[in-house]
Amino acid sequence: MKTPLEELACLYVLDQLEEQKRAEFEERLLRDPAAVALVREAEAGLARRIHELPPREPPVGLLGRIEQRLDQRTTGAPPAHARGIAPWAAIARWGLAAAIVVGLGAIAIQLWQRNRAATDRPVVIVVGLDQGRNALAELPLAGSPASADARFIQLASLAERYWDKPGDLPVKMNSPGAGGRGYALFDPGSNQGFIAVQQLPAVEPGQRYHLWILDAASGQVREAGVLPLAGSSRGLYFFSVAPAAGPKSGRLDFLVTVENAAEPDATRPRGRVVLGDRGI
Amino acid sequence: MIPPGPNDSAIAEEIALLAQAGAGDRDAFRRVYARYSGPLFALAVRLVGDPGDAEELLQDAFVKIWRNAAAYDARKSRPFTWVVTILRRTCIDHLRKRRRAPVTTPMPDGAGAPPDVAGADAVRLAVDNDDEADRLRGALAEIPPGQRSALELALFSDLTHAEIARRLEQPPGTVKSWIRRGLLGLRATLNNSAP
Repeated sequence: MKTPLEELACLYVLDQLEEQKRAEFEERLLRDPAAVALVREAEAGLARRIHELPPREPPVGLLGRIEQRLDQRTTGAPPAHARGIAPWAAIARWGLAAAIVVGLGAIAIQLWQRNRAATDRPVVIVVGLDQGRNALAELPLAGSPASADARFIQLASLAERYWDKPGDLPVKMNSPGAGGRGYALFDPGSNQGFIAVQQLPAVEPGQRYHLWILDAASGQVREAGVLPLAGSSRGLYFFSVAPAAGPKSGRLDFLVTVENAAEPDATRPRGRVVLGDRGI
Repeated sequence: MIPPGPNDSAIAEEIALLAQAGAGDRDAFRRVYARYSGPLFALAVRLVGDPGDAEELLQDAFVKIWRNAAAYDARKSRPFTWVVTILRRTCIDHLRKRRRAPVTTPMPDGAGAPPDVAGADAVRLAVDNDDEADRLRGALAEIPPGQRSALELALFSDLTHAEIARRLEQPPGTVKSWIRRGLLGLRATLNNSAP
């Protein structure tokens, strides 16, 4: 496919766009998965080319000198960005990014929130996913972190830990070889999470995996993104969703479906459920 | 298609590290340094030529990474692309201030536009060429010379694509197309040759 969009993506990755065009393209990245996919391709080429350069080790002690400069700049105060950026905004950006970048799949989780505001007693919902069912657990966030940054860090650390050591998961998974399976971590306070999937069946051309979250009480459906599993059957991804409208219910359901890629802006799952509770 | 698979977990970790560094976590920043300092130093040396200058610019870049980590937006780029952009801008500012001749990169097999280098840059590029020629011959050989020239100039010089067009005596539209096909073609070639 040779389109101007490909050109824009490559020039963007190479930092060859003028300021206004760069800003316009970044706006497009927020709403156009096709542009994101092309940027990812171009980024892969950039990374490979740079890693092919003759290897050079930075001088010993360079990190120490950098830290000295940081200490001189930040004595008595945190980094400027830590003071000036709204943590929630940053977290929301990462989560949304994940939803765009990540992509596709179908996972279904069920969870009970026990009638409390997540921010009062922050928890992470851990959901084991396989074909046709979910298994749920709740983990309290250590130290009841108030800041979104701290919550995100705990969430990311947990996701990484379970990815490396699935035996640590607090929910039981299907044994290997029993079809698609995975797990999801979700912070209902920040509406973001991670999902790990493996052994999903290959999608046909023109199809893709979608991740959804449904509020069982209100019937509200929230799309959490498209899982970019092309060429692979496994991966670990971020996702995030818009806050639920109206009062919180006690139960959320997650699922991954196979959807027709030609249908723009799907708002409800229509395709086959490949992960999660099929009865949802 | 979007690169799938195992690297996604590494990218997730890198995003998390930048988030932690952005919140003021010095340990996370050290891990960011450990991951990126090698390739960024190699890139800085390629861009500015002098290892001493490259070291100073790498310092400047990591200070900027620390100070701007909280503003990193994963929707717009991968972490590696983001740090590369910071370093390249730092190096390009340096090159333009010093009014040095822009660095260009020779093609591994000698095809395509001849490099426009002089003095110390020529020495450095000759050395790099020895190191890289074999490594990249397979990867780049399948990319037509014009695409290679345009891509390497876009990556390793301070030229805009309009300036690259003038350098290569081609219409800007042609050069943009060459850059696109070169970058995407390089990725495809490297993927195909990967073990």
